[in-house]
Amino acid sequence: MEELDLLKKAWQKDTHSFEQVSELEIYKMLHRKSSSIVKWILVISLLEFGLWALVSFMFNTDDAIKSLHAESFEIYLKIITYVNYAVVLWFIYNFYRNYARISTTTSTKQLMHDIIRTRKTVQHYVWYNLFMIFISTLLGFAMAFIYNPNMDMLRYKIEHEDGYKTLSITICMVLITIGVFVGLFWLFYRIIYGTLLRKLNANYKELKKIDL
Amino acid sequence: MSDDLEKSFVKQLKENQNIIHKICRLYTNGEDAHNDLFQEITIQLWKAFPKFRGESKFSTWAYRVALNTAITLYRKSTRTVSTVTYEGQKHFLSQEDYNHEEEEQIKLMYQAVQQLNDIEKALVFLYLEDKDYTEISETLGISEVNARVKMNRIKGKLKKILNP
Repeated sequence: MEELDLLKKAWQKDTHSFEQVSELEIYKMLHRKSSSIVKWILVISLLEFGLWALVSFMFNTDDAIKSLHAESFEIYLKIITYVNYAVVLWFIYNFYRNYARISTTTSTKQLMHDIIRTRKTVQHYVWYNLFMIFISTLLGFAMAFIYNPNMDMLRYKIEHEDGYKTLSITICMVLITIGVFVGLFWLFYRIIYGTLLRKLNANYKELKKIDL
Repeated sequence: MSDDLEKSFVKQLKENQNIIHKICRLYTNGEDAHNDLFQEITIQLWKAFPKFRGESKFSTWAYRVALNTAITLYRKSTRTVSTVTYEGQKHFLSQEDYNHEEEEQIKLMYQAVQQLNDIEKALVFLYLEDKDYTEISETLGISEVNARVKMNRIKGKLKKILNP
């Protein structure tokens, strides 16, 4: 076929028209998979932060506190909220730094090191969040128990009747509820960050295999 | 050790990158898609590299992995029908002074090739790279007879596209 051979001739002569990729760019390509996972970790943590900010904005806790006349708690809640924001922002900053570092790494060793570091940051982040959820639900229950008028009967029962038994039942119920609550969040984190970490881990193993 | 392996891979890839560029040009339109496919092929080659280690020439091995990547990637994303951009054609015509008629023929032929399906493109690519049928059949994992038959069919198809 004449036309095809003409194309073949042109095709083979054409070797200089491609923009050549440098060695450094090739290195970067090899590591971009990790960096895209780390990018997702950053994006999801930002989304999560935004979601919680939105939730706390929509459910105005100030009103709830006022209606309960629990103003003495307010200051603690405020402190916890701001400290929490600071810590979460610090984590997000770290996620960003991990991302920036991984996307510029050029050696396998350094990349493996960065992957481990990212894993640690994510794990700390999840543990911190679970701890905060535990603390804030506990605080919520304590506040309800002390100030909520609906709890008067329960308080009365504990003070005047079989105090020990009712108290232990109440504590058990509260702990179970908190346990379920924290467990749900644990599951949520496991699904979202766990999936990303598993991918990152697979990437790490691949690198390690090569590193024999 | 790992860094040595990586170094040798990167060096060989850099030297053989025109293979990948050519495949990218055949399978994609536009710079972004070209770069995406180039990167994907690079990653696949790197993944397969530990298994490679001198069993054949780097380029022969790269043809196989790169074409497989292009074909599977092409299948995954149902892309819109290729419309050949001006940039796609001008490469062939930039250096050589073909006469006007030849130039037109090359252009049309290239457009026709772009209309082929992914497997057909792979065969044409190897043909354009001046590979013999033994190498084509090895690279694509089909028998030599099958490769010949397929190539003849493709030529027929191209003729039909050029002279409808």
